[in-house]
Amino acid sequence: MGLTIDTEHSPEGPLIKVSGEVDLYSSPELRKVILKTIPGAKGDLVVDLSGVTYIDSSGVATLVEGLRSARENGSGFVLVKPSPAVMQVLELARLDSVFEVR
Amino acid sequence: MTKRERDLHVTVRSDPKLLASVRSLVRSWVESWDVGDKTTDRVVLAIDEACTNAIRHAYEGRRDGSVELSLHAGPEYLEFQVSDTGVPCPPECTTRRPLQPAADDDLKPGGLGIQLIHEVFDEVDFCPGESGGNCVTMKLMRSK
Repeated sequence: MGLTIDTEHSPEGPLIKVSGEVDLYSSPELRKVILKTIPGAKGDLVVDLSGVTYIDSSGVATLVEGLRSARENGSGFVLVKPSPAVMQVLELARLDSVFEVR
Repeated sequence: MTKRERDLHVTVRSDPKLLASVRSLVRSWVESWDVGDKTTDRVVLAIDEACTNAIRHAYEGRRDGSVELSLHAGPEYLEFQVSDTGVPCPPECTTRRPLQPAADDDLKPGGLGIQLIHEVFDEVDFCPGESGGNCVTMKLMRSK
């Protein structure tokens, strides 16, 4: 399955679309993309997780790190359409109310 | 779980790329016991976390370590055991911290794996490693 990450830049801010499985093997790539996209981002960073079929604690940690980095940059960090796989893990980890979710 | 009781036993090289294969194996075995989709997903996650900990912490990211995974269906429980011969985890590893809804300013992205294991399984025991290293046995009640 692997992981695909597509980044688009719009006037409202960057959109990172993530599909596939986020685990110890693939989460470093996601981390790199998120942390590279945040500095200088105008507007909220939006992460579309609709295509994520699996995520574990390394993936969640990456999202948390992205949230903190965005805050330091003065930007919002929004999770859009998180898949059931994502929501289940966020709920299990009691982190579901920490993120802005649309 | 004794050697003879194991239904499946796999030795996995400590390479993160192999975690997807481990998940497939665990998923298909757990699915054969009809515990439901949500529980199956949770068990796959927890075993992934246990293996991830072995790769990341016990073997410190080295790819030449061995992670042993055993699966056994007993009359009451589905049992899983993950062990390694890497750096032993300090005692704090084994304590369960109740997961509380995280406050915004309380985000600590670490140590989540073990807590998820505790959330998913009915019994979690840290068995002594046979030749150093770490060992964890995780049990899920078959009927609830």
